[in-house]
Amino acid sequence: MQNLRVAVDVGGTFTDICIMDEATGLIRIEKTSTTRDPIEGIMGGVSKAGIDLSRVALFSHGTTVATNALITRRLPRTAVVTTEGFRDVIEIRRANKEDLWDTYKDVVKPYVPRRDRLTVSERVDAAGKVIQPLDTDAARKVARILKRRGVAAIAVCFMNAYLNGENERAMRDILLAEMPDIPVSISSQVLPEIFEHERFSTTVVNAVVSPVVVSYTSRLGERLADEGYTRDLLLLHTGGGVMTPASVKDFAARLAGSGIAAGAIASRYIAGLCGFPNSIGLDMGGTSTDVSLAYEGQSRITKDWYIEYGYPIRFASIEVLTIGAGGGSLAWTDPAGSLRNGPQSAGAYPGPACYGNGNAQPTNTDANVTMGRLGTSLAGGKVMLDPELARKAVEDGVAKPFGFGLHEAADAILKVANANMSDAVRLISISRGYDPRDFALVAFGGAGALHGVDVARELAIPVVIVPPNPGVTSALGCLLVDMQHDFSQSCMVGADEADSADIEAQFAALEKEALARLTHEGVAQQDIVLQRSIDMMYRGQWRSLAVSAPRPIGAIADLVKSFHAEHQREYNFRRDDSPVSFFRLNLKAVGIVPKAEFAVHKPTGATPEPVDRRRVWFDGNGLDTPVFQRDDLPCGFSFQGPAIIEQVDATTVVPPGASAEVDKYLNIIIRVKE
Amino acid sequence: MAGNLALDPVTFEVLKNSFITSVDQMGEQVLRTCYSFVIYNRDFSSALHDAKGECAAQGNQDIAVHVGTLHFTCQDVMRHFEGDMHEGDVFAINDPYAGGTHFSDVRLIRPIFADGKIIAFSQSNGHWSDVGGSVPGSFDVAAREMFREGLRITPVRLFDKAGLRRDVAHLIASNTRDPASIIGDIQAQAQATQVCEREILRLVNKYGRDTVETGLAAVQDYVERSARQRIAALPDGEWETVDFIDRDPAGGEGMIPIRIKMTIKGDRAIYDFTGSHPTIGSIYNSAFGATFSAVAAGMKTFFPDLPLNSGFYRCFDIIAPEGSIVDAKWPIAVTGFLMPFEKIMNSIYEMWSKLMPERALACAFNLEYLLTGGLDARSSDKPIFMFYDWLPGGWGGRNGKDGSNVTTACFGTGLMSQPVEGQERANPILTTKCEILTDSPGPGKWRGGAGVVKTSRMLQAEKTVISYICDRERAVVWGIEGGLPSMPHGLTLHRAGAAAEERLGSIFSDVPIGEGDVFSRPTAGGGGFGDPLLRDPRLVIEDIKDDYVSVERAAKDYGVVVQTIDAELCEYEIDRAATDALRAKIRAERVAKARLDPEVVAQRFRSGAIDTLDVIRQHAVILDWGTGALLPESTRQFREVFERRSVANWAAD
Repeated sequence: MQNLRVAVDVGGTFTDICIMDEATGLIRIEKTSTTRDPIEGIMGGVSKAGIDLSRVALFSHGTTVATNALITRRLPRTAVVTTEGFRDVIEIRRANKEDLWDTYKDVVKPYVPRRDRLTVSERVDAAGKVIQPLDTDAARKVARILKRRGVAAIAVCFMNAYLNGENERAMRDILLAEMPDIPVSISSQVLPEIFEHERFSTTVVNAVVSPVVVSYTSRLGERLADEGYTRDLLLLHTGGGVMTPASVKDFAARLAGSGIAAGAIASRYIAGLCGFPNSIGLDMGGTSTDVSLAYEGQSRITKDWYIEYGYPIRFASIEVLTIGAGGGSLAWTDPAGSLRNGPQSAGAYPGPACYGNGNAQPTNTDANVTMGRLGTSLAGGKVMLDPELARKAVEDGVAKPFGFGLHEAADAILKVANANMSDAVRLISISRGYDPRDFALVAFGGAGALHGVDVARELAIPVVIVPPNPGVTSALGCLLVDMQHDFSQSCMVGADEADSADIEAQFAALEKEALARLTHEGVAQQDIVLQRSIDMMYRGQWRSLAVSAPRPIGAIADLVKSFHAEHQREYNFRRDDSPVSFFRLNLKAVGIVPKAEFAVHKPTGATPEPVDRRRVWFDGNGLDTPVFQRDDLPCGFSFQGPAIIEQVDATTVVPPGASAEVDKYLNIIIRVKE
Repeated sequence: MAGNLALDPVTFEVLKNSFITSVDQMGEQVLRTCYSFVIYNRDFSSALHDAKGECAAQGNQDIAVHVGTLHFTCQDVMRHFEGDMHEGDVFAINDPYAGGTHFSDVRLIRPIFADGKIIAFSQSNGHWSDVGGSVPGSFDVAAREMFREGLRITPVRLFDKAGLRRDVAHLIASNTRDPASIIGDIQAQAQATQVCEREILRLVNKYGRDTVETGLAAVQDYVERSARQRIAALPDGEWETVDFIDRDPAGGEGMIPIRIKMTIKGDRAIYDFTGSHPTIGSIYNSAFGATFSAVAAGMKTFFPDLPLNSGFYRCFDIIAPEGSIVDAKWPIAVTGFLMPFEKIMNSIYEMWSKLMPERALACAFNLEYLLTGGLDARSSDKPIFMFYDWLPGGWGGRNGKDGSNVTTACFGTGLMSQPVEGQERANPILTTKCEILTDSPGPGKWRGGAGVVKTSRMLQAEKTVISYICDRERAVVWGIEGGLPSMPHGLTLHRAGAAAEERLGSIFSDVPIGEGDVFSRPTAGGGGFGDPLLRDPRLVIEDIKDDYVSVERAAKDYGVVVQTIDAELCEYEIDRAATDALRAKIRAERVAKARLDPEVVAQRFRSGAIDTLDVIRQHAVILDWGTGALLPESTRQFREVFERRSVANWAAD
């Protein structure tokens, strides 16, 4: 019987495997080291966990293979074929810099160097008319040269092809005639949207990672099949859904942020189970913190993202804000006497001072050890923490320079770290028109639950949720996904001129494509859900705002009404007298994967005993604090802060004034009130 | 020393970061709601001021060109409305004669009240797409006084507690070409200042009024202390340089000098512009605010990690002779202040490159700005179109690193270039080329970054004129430490049916054009750093593979002789012996070439024996690039600096 669901999240250090038994809803975690070829680590972990792959009904995977290939530039030789006169679109970009002031810090070089960007004569005008047919002789010459060069992938990017892909398709056919086995991405298919750099860049990323991920997913698929897995391997993409290997070659770039999406999905899902449709995810690890937001059960989506600055990937993606604040972030004093925290990090090695690997500068982890929030070991004893070294680092690095007492110094380090995280949460909530008081904070990652309540208090967020396995929540996210594809199309027309039948027809065309793809992936008709939205703006504005749209489309006036309301919510003003324009049609096509139910526990009425008591510092007071083992905490157990809860992958701090309860899914729900 | 703060370190750090975040939130809001495409492409900035109008925080993504001017405009508003500011008020100002930049940069300023008293001001500054005047886009290069440039807004109350004062807003919007969008930008900017107000009030609520007030002062003291420490660590001394505007359209031949002497004394820097030229008969003049900004932005480049606020401005003094090109007074036209601005920035780069060799930087290309407008005859109703465009170019070679390719002009590295596909939808213009320009980088041991060329053809259009705002057609982008210049700017026009193209140059306005006419504009690469004969030939080969440098100029500029093995496979080989011989020959002849009689050089150019790059890079001669006529005074000036920056640094063997 196939009744197991397996999710694998491959991170930089660890490969997390999450196994769920559909019958009981119970979840088991296996953690192994990530290997050079990640497939070895995955298969090793599967075997270590004793998983019988023939019993697995669903195997889903979040991967950093594409991200790593881009960042390290270990990419196969890839060529771009583009319109004559436009060889350098992806190098000129929008010409702006990320760091405005440091003249020695450049935007990284394009993924395809100039020598491998070839041009052909062809042109489509701004109305979509072919004003210069493809010069097929030149095109064949280009194909011959690229074959001689032995390129492994090709992107075809022509001007105005978002309106008419005829010349691009002709070019692709000529390339394939010469090189039938080379993946060719064409911009009119990958992303039929206006603005050449954004479209070209997305197409080029798609082309360069395509051989990498296709080879990776097919190798992994074969290994799994060899071991008995009979279904499709599911791959998590940045849009927050999964796709099968059949779609990977067409939308390879969607895997380029696979790892980041998983945590946001899990956070949203867990908060939803706990009855909080509005949630903020705080995923704090060793070097950075990822912040995400879900409103009314939906993750915020952005099309404004990239792996490296300057090279946009315009596929819909879950919005995640990453800041350089983690357990290993260094606290330091700058020459003008200010106490700083991050973004530099002690990393996994040498790590915090208390690891004893030679770093003497204090980190957030050292401050937590000094305050008694962390004990003397992590990961169930695999990492030992030396409190003496932690105290010495805090003493020398912060207490002495500022004339502070030891605990005052450690407190100062944590306050600055918490304030930085709170600023990040503010950017994604308050500055987008969301009031944090209406949200729950889901604190996860190795360090999230140490800081969660402090951050929530800073932002007046009333509730903090700590999931059962905070350190492997991302892997859990891979289990909780549906099949999903996102399609979009430019649609630039004034609302007063828009014809709803015409827009309906455009949506219908997108839906046809979406249905074909999901059907091809084996999704049954009744499991398909289509969600429409339209990007709109006041005429004359330059940025659009997505407004969800009904199916069928209905009256244009109702869409305009929704837009005014959304503009008011997001930006706090509206212009009822101003004409409104449409910019883009978006379709999210979801193939619902039935979710297994998490195991529901019943209150036992038991009162667990603390495994330890120790002195933990809160606001300058050393308080005698009980330390619980997470596994000991039964459903229904409620308790008051101060308390520390330790488990293999995380430590939770419940400060004085807060009260906590373990719910039926074994989440700890903390009411943070002061 | 740590702990030397008016507040405890935690509160200080939290407030410092919160102030900057509150300003960044303003910027984010403006970007998402603006109407001006110039703002959308990131020509804007925001600031938080203390109750005295001093700048306490600027944003991380704010454009350099507004740095150091926002406190002036805030304080001018305070002077006009002293004792008459109320909750809900928002004021507007765009006055360059009161410390602003130019009329296009319109600032909205909101007093923030706590306990009934002003605690701070928030300011949002954006470049509106039009502020009236004689030409679309409000850049009339023929203006000599402000009266044909656009609407001057001295401080006015634009909002009060009842909201937008429609009479005032209407008066302003009605003096522009696109009133509906102007009202939209007013609302976007006013709302942004409210975002900052909300954050400041949150901080007041949490920390108390006194603490926030102390924090607003403490963050300035902190930046001042940081900057002074670093300046004090540098040796005292004096550094001097000169850069030029190409010409005074109302004067004779000869470039217009901007002279700077920088003195480092203890923990202060003094910038003395004595000897700079008086204001000129075009819009390329700078009022004091813009000059102050250029100095602040140039110097800030060497302190990239420091937050920006008034504390930084307390570390330097400026001596600017009244009535000079760096201190223009009302009503002298200053809309083109960016031309002196970029000269000042590059001069500061040059002087600081001596002080901080690890951050050295040769000259960057100069901003160019094209304005075309008329009737779009692609559709029968023939709507008005306005096509404004600017291009990126190359930045200067660096110490141990080539210059940055195709990057926005130095006045604001956050500024984005525009997508051709958007332009083609909105305007009857087809772009036939927008590509890196081979051989544009100034040669050097570390070459400059590459510039681009953009070529556009007019489609069906009527009553259309073209204007161009650019410079460094004569004051060509220069190298340092022995590096060479790049190439002259200037637009060429090929009229439909004409046999040859005509050169319109780098500054002209209101030239009629029509369907089928083709115009083309290059941007220069950056200047080179170090002697190009010392460049590793393997790097030259890599540049050839990417067509940044041609095989021909590899020989002329670098003395590197290359054999082409198979161009289709990008296979080239260095001819070592020929390279050694050619480098020796260039070394032996180059000083004499740089001093060759300019008339002879001009003749050889006109006869076709040598080309523009030879004239500039080998002979340091400035010609009228259209006719080939020698410009003797400009050449004399150009050679004087070329001797110092390039010739004096060439190794003899």
